[in-house]
Amino acid sequence: MSQDLVHIAVERALQRGCEYAEARWQRTSDQLCYVRNGEAEPSVISDAEGIGVRVICEGALGFGATNLLDVASVTELVENVAKSARGASSSIKEERKVRFSSEEPGVAKWGVEEKKKAEDVSLESIIAFLKEIDATLRSPIADVSFPNRNLAVWKGIDEKYYENSDGSRVESRVPRFQYYGTMLAMYEGKPTSISIPPGYSGLGGTGGWEVIENLDLVEYVPRGALEITAGIKASASPPSGVTLDVILGPNVAGLTSHESCGHPGEADRILGREGAQAGESFLKPDKLGMQIGSEEAFVSDDPTIPGSMGFYLYDDEGVRARRRKLITAGRFTEFLQNRATAYYFNIKSNGSSRAVQYDREPIIRMGNTLIEPGDWTFDEMIRDVNRGVYIKSFMEWNIDDKRLNQRYVGLEAFLIEAGKLGPAVKNPVFEITTPKYWGSIDARAKDLEYTCGTCGKGDPMQGAPVFFGAPHIRLRNVRVGSR
Amino acid sequence: MSTGTSGLQATVDLALKEGIRAGCSDVSIIGSRSLTSQVRFSNNSITLVNSVRNITIDFYLAKNRRRILGSSSNPTERGVRSFVQRLVSACESLPESKDYAPLPSGPFHYQKRGNYDPKVADAPLVDYVNEAIESALRSGALRVSGSLNTESTQSIISTSAGANADDKVSMMLLNVRAFADDNASGHGLSCTSFISDFRAGEAGRRAGEYAKMSLHPVQLEQGKYDVIFLSTVVANILPVAGAASAFAIQTGMSYLADKLGQRVGVESLGVMDQAVPERGLGGRSFDDEGTPTQDNDVISRGTFSTILHNTTTAKKFSAKSTGNAGIIVPRPNTVVFEKGGVTFDEMIKDTRNGVLITNNWYTRYQNQRTGEYSTVPRDAAFKIKDGAIAEPLFGLRVSDSIPRQLSSIEAISTEREWIKWWEVDTPTFAPAMKISGVPITRAVGS
Repeated sequence: MSQDLVHIAVERALQRGCEYAEARWQRTSDQLCYVRNGEAEPSVISDAEGIGVRVICEGALGFGATNLLDVASVTELVENVAKSARGASSSIKEERKVRFSSEEPGVAKWGVEEKKKAEDVSLESIIAFLKEIDATLRSPIADVSFPNRNLAVWKGIDEKYYENSDGSRVESRVPRFQYYGTMLAMYEGKPTSISIPPGYSGLGGTGGWEVIENLDLVEYVPRGALEITAGIKASASPPSGVTLDVILGPNVAGLTSHESCGHPGEADRILGREGAQAGESFLKPDKLGMQIGSEEAFVSDDPTIPGSMGFYLYDDEGVRARRRKLITAGRFTEFLQNRATAYYFNIKSNGSSRAVQYDREPIIRMGNTLIEPGDWTFDEMIRDVNRGVYIKSFMEWNIDDKRLNQRYVGLEAFLIEAGKLGPAVKNPVFEITTPKYWGSIDARAKDLEYTCGTCGKGDPMQGAPVFFGAPHIRLRNVRVGSR
Repeated sequence: MSTGTSGLQATVDLALKEGIRAGCSDVSIIGSRSLTSQVRFSNNSITLVNSVRNITIDFYLAKNRRRILGSSSNPTERGVRSFVQRLVSACESLPESKDYAPLPSGPFHYQKRGNYDPKVADAPLVDYVNEAIESALRSGALRVSGSLNTESTQSIISTSAGANADDKVSMMLLNVRAFADDNASGHGLSCTSFISDFRAGEAGRRAGEYAKMSLHPVQLEQGKYDVIFLSTVVANILPVAGAASAFAIQTGMSYLADKLGQRVGVESLGVMDQAVPERGLGGRSFDDEGTPTQDNDVISRGTFSTILHNTTTAKKFSAKSTGNAGIIVPRPNTVVFEKGGVTFDEMIKDTRNGVLITNNWYTRYQNQRTGEYSTVPRDAAFKIKDGAIAEPLFGLRVSDSIPRQLSSIEAISTEREWIKWWEVDTPTFAPAMKISGVPITRAVGS
C-alpha cells in the first residue's frame, strides 16, 4: 500500500504540471533503554511513519508530508505542495530557480544484514546489559567515584521506499544500534561531568545486536573511566603562549574532520542555502582545488563503509552513494553535492542528500567523515616531539558558522617532553583557525578509529547519524591555552 | 477514523480505553494534530515552501509498577490497538520501577487562556518573507537568508486518573539573517503567537542595519570585558530553567544542584517558568501527566527557589509536582526573565570599555555540573567605547561559567523580546544583560 501511495503521489504531481516530483515513504522505529544509577528509567518506543513529497513546479521547490496514509490524504498533500510551489514561483528570479542535475536513475533494493535481529532483542535484555555496565562504575576507580551514571542504548530501524519522476525506485532498510553514557565524576570533592567515550560521542553502527556485543562495553567502559581519571585528577596547566607540537587522539581528530572539513565542504552551505541556520562556509564556489592544508591533510567522506553509522548505498534523491575525497594532499578536491547544487556546479551529484524522517526535506549531509590513516605509529609520533601536548580526548568544542574558528578543550591530556609522554595537564584549550589546523598536520598514524555522532543541520532540525573517524595526528608549531 | 477534533478525541479515548483494558494502572494519552508551514529563503530568494500535517499520539503506561513511554504516528483504530498491545507487552518485560508514582488524580482546573490565533494557519507567508527581505535590503544588506515558520497545534490529554483537557497553540517564527558582505551580517527575529503582533519588516530592518554596521570588522584582543548580550544571546547562554529541572539535578548535570534556597545570582535576577504567558509565545495548560501547569519562580531575587518536577521526581525529592512533566524529564513550559531597570540605550551609555554581542550559536559545556562553557558569537558584535557602539568585531568566543555570569550581572534591560529559533527551543522572554568580566578568546592562525 505504501508503495502504491508513493507512486500515486509522483503521478499526481506530474499531472498537476510539476516538472519534477519525488515521494518517499519512511518509517523510523526507535527504541531507547535508559538506566540511571543502576535502575531502569521508562523505556521509550516510537514509530514515525508517513510520506514526504517534493516537487519542482515552475522552478520553485515545494515539500510536504503527512502521516495519514490513504489516497485522499496523499492526493490532497500533493495538490497543496504543487499549489504552494507554483504560488511561490513568481517571487523567484530566473537565475535562482531550482533545477536538478541529470542522473542515472537508481533502481535498487538494499539493506543492512543483522546477525542478531534488532526486533528479537528485548528491552529486558538491553536493560540487564546496561545494569551490567553500570556495575563496573559503582565503586571508585583510581580514587575517582561516579555517583551519577546515565547509560543508554538506542535502537533504530529506518525503512524507506522512494520514487521519483526520473525513474528511480529505491527500497531500503537500515537497523542501527548505539550506546552512550554520561556520568558525574567526583575527585577530592570536585565534580566533573564526562561521557564515555568522551565528547558526548557514542559507539555503535548499522546492523543487529551484534554491533553492541562486539564493542565489549563491560570491559571498555571501566577502562575508559580509568583513562579519564588522569584528566580529572590533573591540576597542572598546559604550557600557554608558546609554540609547540600537538598530537590529537582519534576522538578529537575525528570530530575535526566533520566540523572543519565536512561541513564547510557542503555545497548547499557554500551556495548560501543554510545561511540563517547552520550557516555558510569560508569556501566559495570557485574554491575547489584551493590549498587549505599541508601535503599530509587527507579527508574523505564515505557512506559506503560497511557497519558504519552513516551507512547508505543510495541517497534520498535516488543517486548511488560513493566515497568522496574532500581534501587530498591539502587541497579541497570535492564538495558534498545533491542534485540541485550539482546542477549549479555543472557536475553529477555525489549522492549526499538525506532526510532523517518522512516529514523532513532531503538536504546535503555527511555520511562518515574521516581523516585518512597514514603510516606512522603513535610511539613514533611521540618520539619525534621535543615539546608538545597530547590531547587524547575532549568534552567542549565549537566552531563558527563559516567553519573558520574552532575550539576543542581536552579532557585527558598530557605533556610531551623530549620524545616522551609526561604528566597529565588540565583542560588544554586548542583554539585554531581552519587553514592553520589543516596546514599544521605533519603526520598521521595507522590507528584509524571511529565514534558515532548525531549531526545537526536543517530547519526544521534534522539529526543525522554519522561516524567521525581519524587516526592519531600530529600538528607542528601550534599553540594551546588554558581555561 | 476521522482526523478532525472529534476524531482526535476519539483516538485519544480509544488509546486510553485500550491501555486500561490491558490492565495498566496508569495511562496518559496525548493526541496532537499539527499543521506546520514554512518558507525558507536565501540570497534574497525563496528556496523552499514546506507544509506538514501530522497527527501523533503519545503514550505513558504503567503496569505493576513497570513503566513505558511511546509515540506513534498511526492514528487509525487498528494502528492504535496494535501499538498499545506492543507497548503493554514490552512494559510487562521491564523491571519494576523504584521511582514509580501514580498519575495525579483530579479534579483539575485548567486555565482557558491559550496563545492561539486561528489566523496564523492562513498567514500569507510568501508576502511576509518578501517584506522581510526588502526591509533588510533597504537597511543596507546585500543578501538575505532565513525562514518563516508557522505552527498551529491542537493537543488533547486524557489520563486514567481523570485528567481531561485540550489546548491550542499557534506560533509565527521568523528568523532573518542579512549580509552586507561575507564578514558582515546581522540577525533579526519576530516570534509571536498572534498574527497582529508579527513584525516581518522590523526583523528584516534590524538584521539589515546590524549587517551594515558590521562592515570592516576588526579582531579583539583576548581578555576580560564587560559584555552586553542581546536577548537572543541571553535566552541561549543562561538556560537556568532547564538547569532547574529535577532530571538535570538527578543526573548530576546541573550547576543548580545543591543550591535550592541559596543565592545563585544578583538580586535583580528573576526567572520564571510560566504556564501560558498572557499574549506571549507558546506555553501549555497541562503537562504530560495531566497536571495543570502553573507559574513557577525558578530564580527569585537571585535565589534558586523552585526545582521543576513531575510526580515521579517530586516523590523522590519529597516535593509536589510543579506541572512540568515530561514523564522522564521535567521541563519548563516557557521561560520569562524579569525585566530590569535600565533601557538598552542606557546600558550602552553606561559602558566605558566593553563589547556588544547580538547573536551566538554552538554553546557547549566542558563541565555541565559546574557550568563551564563556551559559545561562539555570530553576526554583529561591536566594541563599546565611552558609552557608544564602536568598531565591529569578528572571530571572538565567550569562554565562561554560568554561575559566575549569574553573579556578575550588572544591568538588565527594561525591554524584553520573545525568542525561539534554531538555538533556543523553549519560548523565552528575555531582556538584554550586561555582565562584567566575561573572558573573550579567539582562534590562532592565519
